[in-house]
Amino acid sequence: MTEPLVSTRGLGKTIGRKVILRDIALEVTPGSIVGIIGKNGAGKTTLLEILLGFSPASSGSAQLFGHDSFALPATIKGRIGFVPQQDELINLLTGQQQLALVAALHGHWNAALIERLRKTWEVPMDRIIQNLSGGERQKLSTLTALGHEPELLVLDEPVASLDPISRRRFLREMIEITAERTRTVLFSTHIISDLERVADQIWILRDGAIAWAGPLDSLQESVVRLSVNARRSLPSVLPLAGCLSQRVAGERASAVVTQWTGQRLAQLQETLDAEIAVEPLGLEDIFVELHS
Amino acid sequence: MASPSILRIFTLQPNLGVPIYLQLIHQVRRMVASGQLTPGTELPSVREVATEYTVNPTTISKAYGLLENEGLVQRNRGKPMTISPGRHGSASLAQRLKQIEPQVEALVLAARQLELKAADLCEFIEKKMEKARD
Repeated sequence: MTEPLVSTRGLGKTIGRKVILRDIALEVTPGSIVGIIGKNGAGKTTLLEILLGFSPASSGSAQLFGHDSFALPATIKGRIGFVPQQDELINLLTGQQQLALVAALHGHWNAALIERLRKTWEVPMDRIIQNLSGGERQKLSTLTALGHEPELLVLDEPVASLDPISRRRFLREMIEITAERTRTVLFSTHIISDLERVADQIWILRDGAIAWAGPLDSLQESVVRLSVNARRSLPSVLPLAGCLSQRVAGERASAVVTQWTGQRLAQLQETLDAEIAVEPLGLEDIFVELHS
Repeated sequence: MASPSILRIFTLQPNLGVPIYLQLIHQVRRMVASGQLTPGTELPSVREVATEYTVNPTTISKAYGLLENEGLVQRNRGKPMTISPGRHGSASLAQRLKQIEPQVEALVLAARQLELKAADLCEFIEKKMEKARD
């Protein structure tokens, strides 16, 4: 059993009277790529900030590498790389100077890796940061978090300003980073198609709580659409466990259910006296259904 | 490194809703049944597939693990995985039809909902298969 890298228990955050997060219980094992999705204001950034120890939890606990997040020793901090949503680059430096500055702060810096990435990602090095585009800034900001080869890389919407080609290159690098199963990536995004590619774990945040957390494969297998074609009129409401939505019209019906397993099919066909086709749903549809 | 041709034989569609590991398993099963993948054929490594298709390595290694449990592929120390001996093209017509049954069932249901006749549907499938051959 591998020790979880990140673990939270009963984690909650309240600011004033507003509940931002409640009862979050999560674990991350090394080698995962965890994708975090949620509507604006669902609590993604707050969750990442608490995990990283930038702000204290109001209740429960958050641990990183077995240490309380809000009291991380410097040695642990050196094993983490973080790319915030709003970059913290210094406007009057050039890309080159910014990277040199960050490199100097770390004991270990893989200059060859950064050199390779800045070439493939096409990050300008000689212009001052103030004059870079949003996407260029984002790529540079990501480079500053990669050079010390952190075991845990946390990115808050890392691809929001990137074009599709840059996004694909970035995703490929995340796969390279985690391929040896010793390093871990946690990232929030609104680009669901990226998650379907590279994430193996998905956290769906809804109104400050976890609506779903676990392997992407399991999520895709457990949330499905059923197309029902019955031999006689169906009841106006189908008796479906874990039903997220349904539409019934005479002998036909369509429903989205959770906790689906293949074993449920035969019994359901018999109960409803119907033929039922089970169709997979894309993650975007699943996300929308979980919010219906 | 696996040869580029073998690397590109899979069609992985991350947004299909079908987990990627299942897509890969189904494709290997079909290609072995049809004799496209023959015994001893080396499979690309997990890492090669993951970076080539930009998909998570865990889902690829899960597919390989399950295919190994089925006996369809075998792990070789320090060498690429290979298609197991004695499985190539040996699947009977009945076995191969069995493999495509879930897709056919879904198709039949959709056809019934659209009130299509079997003959029209068969003709349509034939056309599509001819086109795919070109």
